[in-house]
Amino acid sequence: MTRTVVRASGLTKRYGSFTAVEAVDFTVEENRIYGLLGRNGAGKTTIMQLLTGQIFPTAGELEVFGRPPAEHADVLRRMCFIAESQRYPDAYKPLHLLRAAPWYFENWDEEFARRLVDDFRIPLNRYVRKLSRGQLSAVGVTIGLASRAPITFFDEPYLGLDAVARHVFYDRLLADYAEHPRTIVLSTHLIDEVANLLEHIILIDQGRLLLDRDAEEVRGSATTVAGTRATVESFTADRPVIGREHLGGQASVTIDGRLDLAERLRAKELGLELSPVSLQQLIVHLTGTDLHAGSAGEEAAA
Amino acid sequence: MSASTVVSAGTQRTEARSRAHEIWRTVRLHSVTPYVFFGIPWLILGGVWAVTMVAAVILRGAGVSDATDGFRYSWAVLSPQWYLVVVGVQAIAYTFSFALGFGATRRDFWLGTSLMFVLVSVEMAAAIATLVQIEQATGGWWIGAGMFDTLWYGQQGWLVDFYTTFALQLLVLFVGASVTTVYLRWRMRGMMIMFFSAAALVLILVAGLTFTESWTAVFDWFASIGIVGTFTVVLAKALAWAVVGYFVIRRATPR
Repeated sequence: MTRTVVRASGLTKRYGSFTAVEAVDFTVEENRIYGLLGRNGAGKTTIMQLLTGQIFPTAGELEVFGRPPAEHADVLRRMCFIAESQRYPDAYKPLHLLRAAPWYFENWDEEFARRLVDDFRIPLNRYVRKLSRGQLSAVGVTIGLASRAPITFFDEPYLGLDAVARHVFYDRLLADYAEHPRTIVLSTHLIDEVANLLEHIILIDQGRLLLDRDAEEVRGSATTVAGTRATVESFTADRPVIGREHLGGQASVTIDGRLDLAERLRAKELGLELSPVSLQQLIVHLTGTDLHAGSAGEEAAA
Repeated sequence: MSASTVVSAGTQRTEARSRAHEIWRTVRLHSVTPYVFFGIPWLILGGVWAVTMVAAVILRGAGVSDATDGFRYSWAVLSPQWYLVVVGVQAIAYTFSFALGFGATRRDFWLGTSLMFVLVSVEMAAAIATLVQIEQATGGWWIGAGMFDTLWYGQQGWLVDFYTTFALQLLVLFVGASVTTVYLRWRMRGMMIMFFSAAALVLILVAGLTFTESWTAVFDWFASIGIVGTFTVVLAKALAWAVVGYFVIRRATPR
């Protein structure tokens, strides 16, 4: 049985005249891995800060474990959130963070933390403010994983991580998640890196919810149709188009939605080439409105 | 712990866990780097003490007598206060932001921080009051130097020295911390409004006292309440700042 652990409706955060998050509705089910995706400045961190009670919503409703998260100790102690731009006391070294973590996370696994420190080669005895961006990310990832908090937020965990460290994160997260199922919300703009990890995708752009769907569904949901311009245009005429590229007489159009067998056969007869769209490409299409002639993203969102 | 227990634990109400634990872990968080609160203040005091010693040796060498050296007016004993006001600021500016990410509530963080401030103030007060006694007993560290037996210290015994240092220390830490909560809640606009209101208030007070020619009455009042009374006013201010901080931090957001 799955339980809803986060319920947001009409969730809004404004800073003066700037709206960071606008009337967002979504839920998070227990024991799944969520990807909170979007471009820089889309509102990913703001949503995470709202969910963890770090900031207060301007409007709308938000419940985490059945209550608003801010100032509720019994909600907060079940979550772990290391913000991407987390500030640490000047005198802190990673060893201090690891010493304090078990006081706050009751499922803390010390041995797992030590192993991650080795894997990531985190210098325990260096001041946190002297760590590189990648080392800082590794510290956050280590705390997030070893905390085994019932709901764990990773805010841009890949920032600055080298190839080996990215691999370590991916591996350890999957292995530990299999053994200790819990809810994980992961924000990133490096979509290809995590595409296979995610079970559910929440895509936001300019503070609005663009997509809230099962990852499996999203992966096969769009198709690129390529061929001569006229044929492609007529084939895709009454389909939801989310991306369009022209080169001379050739065209390549990305449509939202699956094609059934009959449609595929017809495309083949017409000499059109069909190719699946990767998650990253799809999201570029959905959020990269300015890259293309039309306002494709808005069409899809509508 | 198995995964299933983690999940089922999620459905239970958890108020049974004592709040004392939540407050105490904030104290532990502040003292995870103990030299910030307990080490550096004594490094500063130790350094200033050494300077005072050297000054005393020079003065004696130059033939300046104990009676005319002016050590009584030395502010050396207050030297760590400038550092400790910054510690108060950083406890909120940095440690608060960090503790929120670890799942602390603002309320418990403030209560724990207040407890930490009380502990630090007790420690500073006990040590300084004792050092005043030692300085007096040794006749100024055997060379007539005066660092602790200065200003208002060393006149009414250990307990008064303890009380006055405790009150002052608490005020210094809470001013630093509470002013920072205002920044975290209302950012620069809040700071400006607070500082200009404070400045306006002081000017009005000064103008009022000057025009009504009440300055002597004010000095007489402070003289009548004495050292203990004056520092009770200081302690009351510290507590006022602590209460202000509690209410302001409840809606403060980390940077």
